[in-house]
Amino acid sequence: MSVCIRITVNGLPEEVSPSATLADLIDRFREMDRDLIVEHNGRFVFPQDYASTGVAPNDRVEFIHPNFGG
Amino acid sequence: MLTEEEARRYSRQVALPEIGVEGQLRLAAGRVMVVGLGGLGSIAAYYLAAAGVGYLKLIDRDRVAVENLNRQILHSTFDLERPKPESAAEKLSRLNPHCRIEAVHTAIEDSNAAALLADCDVIFDATDNRETRQVLNRLSLRRQVPFVYGGISGWEGMASTFIPGRTACFSCLFPPHAETAKPAPPPVLGPTAGIVASIQCLETIRLLVGCVPQLAGRLLRFSGLTMEFRKLQIDRNPGCPVCGAPAG
Repeated sequence: MSVCIRITVNGLPEEVSPSATLADLIDRFREMDRDLIVEHNGRFVFPQDYASTGVAPNDRVEFIHPNFGG
Repeated sequence: MLTEEEARRYSRQVALPEIGVEGQLRLAAGRVMVVGLGGLGSIAAYYLAAAGVGYLKLIDRDRVAVENLNRQILHSTFDLERPKPESAAEKLSRLNPHCRIEAVHTAIEDSNAAALLADCDVIFDATDNRETRQVLNRLSLRRQVPFVYGGISGWEGMASTFIPGRTACFSCLFPPHAETAKPAPPPVLGPTAGIVASIQCLETIRLLVGCVPQLAGRLLRFSGLTMEFRKLQIDRNPGCPVCGAPAG
């Protein structure tokens, strides 16, 4: 019996645990940038909420890297 | 009143209903601090001066280097080793003598930021690092002056307009943290800088003429690889250590 749910991360289909949080996904996808922006279903997520924000089937998560050049 | 020469010079933009003569006079009364005269600042200073912004304070600590010239079109091969503000002021004064230019060859830090801002109406970010943007953000909040952010990296760029007390601030989006090591400069393409700086200029012009800035509380992202623009709403962060946004 599958215990995974399907979500989309950076435009690609992924299977993750139904208990996964955004913080777990950041770890799993090795997003090490401390200035990372996380978009969850089209909404900006505050960094302090990563560990308490779960995902549901068909959710879309985007990891956005900052642009600091000029 | 616009002089006859000014009326002709700006006629193609005065024709816009959002600008008109009244808006043009507001631009002439406008004072913008442009911080950074590299890829973003080159485009920004040109367009703001050409549009008739009455006063530009141009700040940069660097001198023109040959590796700048793939994108920093305000400077030329003949300007190598010149302070960027001096090089910029020369071209902009030729472009539009109605625009008063003040060139300041210095680094902006918390200790001199307020004096440099003086009575400017807009902080135009054309810097190349996160730390200086944190300085500009603190200045924006302290002095209640809008902060127009833009950043680029390779084929990509982003921009947002931070209005103190009304929108998220730069630190709501990028909370301050100690830099572990200074990152290497990212690769940069000139047209990417041109697109992002042009968007920032549109926001600045909107602010000066009294139109609602479209990127207030929104982050606009551009990718030159996919030719896509995407907007993301950015709410004030109740946990922001800098703007101290109220909860809820």
